[in-house]
Amino acid sequence: MSLVELANICSHISNASKARLGFTSIPNSKLHLKLALQLQNSGFISTVVRGGATPPPAHHLLSHPSSNTPGHEIEPITRENVASRKLWLGMKYWNSEPVLEKMELVSKPTRRIWMDVEGLRKLVLGRQSGYVKGLGKPGECLFVSTDKGIMEARECVERKIGGQLLCKVR
Amino acid sequence: MSVARPAKCLFCTFKQAARSSKPSTSTSTSTSTSAPRQFSSSPVKPNPRSRHGPAKQQQEKSVVDEIRPLSEEQINQNYTPEQAEAIKQTQQYLKKSFEDMTSSTARNLKPWTMTYVQPMTEIDPVLDKAVKAPWTNLDDNSRLKTEGELTEDIMRFMQSMPDGEKDAETALQNFLATNRITVGKPEAEHNPRSAIAPQTGKMVKQNLLPGQQPADPAQKSKGGRGKEGEGQDQEVSPALIRLMQMTGYNQRQLSALRVKSIISHRVVNQTRLGKIQKQYWLSVAGNQNGLLGIGEGKSEESAEGMIQSQYRAIRNMVPVMRYEGRTIYGNVKGKEGATELELYARPPGFGLRCQQYIYEMCRAAGISDIAARVTRARNPMNTVKAAFQALQSQKDPEEIAKGRGKKLVDVRKVYYAGNV
Repeated sequence: MSLVELANICSHISNASKARLGFTSIPNSKLHLKLALQLQNSGFISTVVRGGATPPPAHHLLSHPSSNTPGHEIEPITRENVASRKLWLGMKYWNSEPVLEKMELVSKPTRRIWMDVEGLRKLVLGRQSGYVKGLGKPGECLFVSTDKGIMEARECVERKIGGQLLCKVR
Repeated sequence: MSVARPAKCLFCTFKQAARSSKPSTSTSTSTSTSAPRQFSSSPVKPNPRSRHGPAKQQQEKSVVDEIRPLSEEQINQNYTPEQAEAIKQTQQYLKKSFEDMTSSTARNLKPWTMTYVQPMTEIDPVLDKAVKAPWTNLDDNSRLKTEGELTEDIMRFMQSMPDGEKDAETALQNFLATNRITVGKPEAEHNPRSAIAPQTGKMVKQNLLPGQQPADPAQKSKGGRGKEGEGQDQEVSPALIRLMQMTGYNQRQLSALRVKSIISHRVVNQTRLGKIQKQYWLSVAGNQNGLLGIGEGKSEESAEGMIQSQYRAIRNMVPVMRYEGRTIYGNVKGKEGATELELYARPPGFGLRCQQYIYEMCRAAGISDIAARVTRARNPMNTVKAAFQALQSQKDPEEIAKGRGKKLVDVRKVYYAGNV
């Protein structure tokens, strides 16, 4: 679980949406995939496709890609190609503003932060907990890595699970 | 306290016990009040509760006795038919009026009781907790009857149907109304515990649109002294006319705005001919209902510079988003030069806990709950500009939700039924 990689991804996605890119790619890993799927679930990005060095065809971004789509098969992951896989994310824009405005790390590679449910509840209510500022901005999300997978802080509070704080997204 | 007291009292109790064991009824009230009082030398007082008790009880009794009706036999025996009829009607009337009286006993018999504005007899869907059927009314085994069971019901009804046509019809209606369609507890069908939220009250539209004027034109701006003076005069200055043309406001509307000049200082331009001194002014203007503008002015004449800045502030008025008409949507940041600040949304009744310049801006815009922190440089001019920028940079949660494809519900509005 490399937070250095995650920090790069946060900056990269923020920059990509500032530059109004249609889609962008991040290195493939289990953590990145789960986080990207959570971002998609929260509505920050439109699609997540695992592909190679070149972006997948456009219609794959707009539908559910699979390895048996006629004409545009997704290349199955093998031992040979796994290192060259990337996650292609479709960026979203609304009213000529990026939906994902800013993405920043909370835990740092040199200082990881874990939080229990009480602390997370404070954060979700917009209050400070420990050294972490609350989610005060409208629509701000905090993603937490728990033993039940990566999930949003509000969901964590709902299910009473604590975990490691990954990143804030707004 | 004497040592002899306990022995004496002990004898007293013996005496009393002996006395009370007698079957004497004439002094029953006195014996009941003077129960054995051990270790007490104080005289026996009558029970304060029964001070008015017997008299009042007698009164109530007498009222009831008076209204107690004669039986029909008594009336028919002792009176002529006309008289009997009259007595019956009177009795009916009296009975009814007695019922009325007893139903409002609180008023008639207890004139000292409090009269409540809210009698608490009705359940308010907004204020009161929703009345729900108890959990015991739920039945897990409850299910709709099958076709066979329903036909059985109908068969049973047909067999027990009365003969007369009218009776049969009423019986059928009765059957249709009361026959159960589910199996299990009867309460589960007739009075189930519903998960549906109670109906909310009427939504009150309290906030005017940002562009609208407050209804009361009497409120005058305290800050706009110079402009007000202009308005009172017969002659209207060309600058004011131009302002009215630009903004579309008339003089009365302009005087209803809250305009305040908050920063002023002398500035000097050094030329080869010498120093040219001018007065700098910065003003804020707002309608206290969501419109806010700032304006700068500079002139060799101080008053002229002030009016210039105020007119510019009025011209620059733009709508500012307000949550519930009192605070901002979430926390926002603003930056102007080296001045950086943060504005924080706060709960109702929090007040304006911020520095003077931001306070004046919030007053003009009609924001009443806010906290602010100027984190870096605190240059007054830049503070005002940064705060203006921060207020404008608020994002509409509805738009954010649309962008993400989510549905958004303001829980405060739901919980308080729009009465926030």
